Amino acid sequence: MNPLTLSAAADAAPFLRSRWEPAEVTFAQAAALLPPLAVVLLAGGGAQALLLATSLAVTFFWETLFALLRGRAWSWHGVTTALVVAVMVPAGAPLWQLALALSLGVVLGELIFGGRGFGFLAAGVVALAFLRFSFAAIPFAGDSGAVAMATLPGAALLLYLRLISWRVALAALLGFAAASLATGQPLDPGPTGASLAFGLVFLICDPFGAASTNAGRWLYGALAGGLAVAFDTAPGAAVAPEAIVFAALLASIFAPLLDHAAVLVIARIRRRRHG
Amino acid sequence: MLFSIRKGYDPALPGAPRQSVEDAAPVGSAAILGADCPGLRPALAVAPGDPVRRGQVLFTDRRHPAIAYVSPLTGVVEAIDFGPRRTLSAMVLRRTGQADPEDDDAGTPATPPAGDARETLLARGLWPAFLARPFGRVPAPDGTPVAILVSATDSNPLAPDPRVVLADRGPAFDRGLTVLAALTTGPVFVAQPPGAGLAATAGDRICAVEISGPHPAGLPGAQLYRLRPEIGPGEVWTIGYQDVTAIGHLFETGDYRSERVVALGGPRALNPRLVRTVMGASLRDLTAGEVAPGGRDGFARILSGSVLAGREAAWLGRHHHQVTVLDARPEARRLPLPWWLGRPGRGPRPLIASERLEGLLPFGIPPVPLMRALAVGDSETAERLGALDLVEEDVALLSCFCSSGADYGRLLRRVLDDLAEAA
Repeated sequence: MNPLTLSAAADAAPFLRSRWEPAEVTFAQAAALLPPLAVVLLAGGGAQALLLATSLAVTFFWETLFALLRGRAWSWHGVTTALVVAVMVPAGAPLWQLALALSLGVVLGELIFGGRGFGFLAAGVVALAFLRFSFAAIPFAGDSGAVAMATLPGAALLLYLRLISWRVALAALLGFAAASLATGQPLDPGPTGASLAFGLVFLICDPFGAASTNAGRWLYGALAGGLAVAFDTAPGAAVAPEAIVFAALLASIFAPLLDHAAVLVIARIRRRRHG
Repeated sequence: MLFSIRKGYDPALPGAPRQSVEDAAPVGSAAILGADCPGLRPALAVAPGDPVRRGQVLFTDRRHPAIAYVSPLTGVVEAIDFGPRRTLSAMVLRRTGQADPEDDDAGTPATPPAGDARETLLARGLWPAFLARPFGRVPAPDGTPVAILVSATDSNPLAPDPRVVLADRGPAFDRGLTVLAALTTGPVFVAQPPGAGLAATAGDRICAVEISGPHPAGLPGAQLYRLRPEIGPGEVWTIGYQDVTAIGHLFETGDYRSERVVALGGPRALNPRLVRTVMGASLRDLTAGEVAPGGRDGFARILSGSVLAGREAAWLGRHHHQVTVLDARPEARRLPLPWWLGRPGRGPRPLIASERLEGLLPFGIPPVPLMRALAVGDSETAERLGALDLVEEDVALLSCFCSSGADYGRLLRRVLDDLAEAA
């Protein structure tokens, strides 16, 4: 697929523009989220559908309110946040708790910075972390084998479109394996992979929370993978979804610092090379 | 030396030119543009209506009176337009008589110029062919570069093949290189496609460099980055291969040759090919009968330069080697959205730090930090990252692939102007 098209609307160079605008990125991410969502909807039934409807309503409300207050174009980026939360939160969770956590996540993680892409955190991660902090009784889902299998086509799509970084994914897996070996946690590709897949693709690899230089991506992924082991409370080879949420949150907070360090090193190499 | 550059991207576009040079119909007028020498305030040597000969001095730079700008054709001065603060906007020259640019050498001396290379280039109007890096501006008359880079490569989409253009200009090109060597104590690099065999016997200090890779490997910026460890720090001048030929011709015969071979291509070009015309040619004259029907009401856009770094223009730019014909801009469509859904197109769009951006810049510069620094005008960070090695055309691919729709060339120019002022 040719990623560039002649832009008829451009009035200055370059007259060739990428067809990937933020709205299309959200579309691709939402499409990638549909298979795992279908799996949890089939398993959770009506209660899960209600949870999804609540999530969508809350994110649309905040998107609309901020679009109105700022006089900006309305965006539907919140839909991916809602879908991630709807997969990770099990049916039966109190809806008002969900709405509260999601509001905080969408507003504080994204909208107060000016919308998606202007902040440094993934809104879904922030919402899930808030939910966990405030209402610890809700156990997270999204770690079943069926969800993991359903994640794969979306992961392949996002990797092909380069909307998630293979460097982050690989570094996270390596970091996870290294930390597991170092701490003596059992590693079993089946259960470990199943519990890791959804969180890895949609929380850790989220392009809006990840680092933005290649060196930073390696460090960010390794940090997230290592932290997932450190935060893991689940017995056995599987990882608790909470651990992945907090690993992604903490790694995202450190991502700008990792990028900064990478830039310092690159600038130094450049100075030495150019004299 | 052979450098193969890995990073970059070659956009696919319809309308690739046939790589054989034909003579274009003579254009009726040509212009010298302020856009090619930003901020230039001219000290005029001619007035509107004056007859001029090809190679005659039209004006000099008021800040550097030694730098002369000369007429590309024999005719009359039709108009002199000024921009803000008496800077030059355009000087338009109309051809009189039907003479071909090759023949109308009426009155020009037929003997090689006496005097040293620098004075001759300044006085005979070929100095503005140089661009000095950093900043990408015409160098000062007394400047001495640590090296000169001739880019006989062009990786822009739909660009002419320098090997074809230089095929029958070999002696003049080699002569031009020896003139360049007199301007610097350092090397003169001739970047060329692998196997082109240019400048093989031109002399010492003239080094052939073979470059391969996707765009922007053919731009001086990418080549300079690879050559920098050899050159060391300092000002480097770049010059286009056709200007080197013009310099060689001038020093061989004393004749100012204004010919320019450009690629006429693009989706709406009727007969994409290389044509021989003059510098600053009127693009309306050049593309008359060359635009394929189609598009909205048959209108087309004529770009001077490539789709990546060119501009919609009426005249051929000083440093452009191609003309691209595109469909006309469609009328702006307004989506009938209700007011409470916000106003479409309002507000900034974010930069999505996709991994795809990483493979575009062969300058050892991390793209996303550079784009962020440029977007907020942080010239300090941009300089630390290496923005001084870049000019507008080097970052065009970033603007193509960035989701924000920002024009990083324009942003880079602003940062470079800030840094030039501070320097």
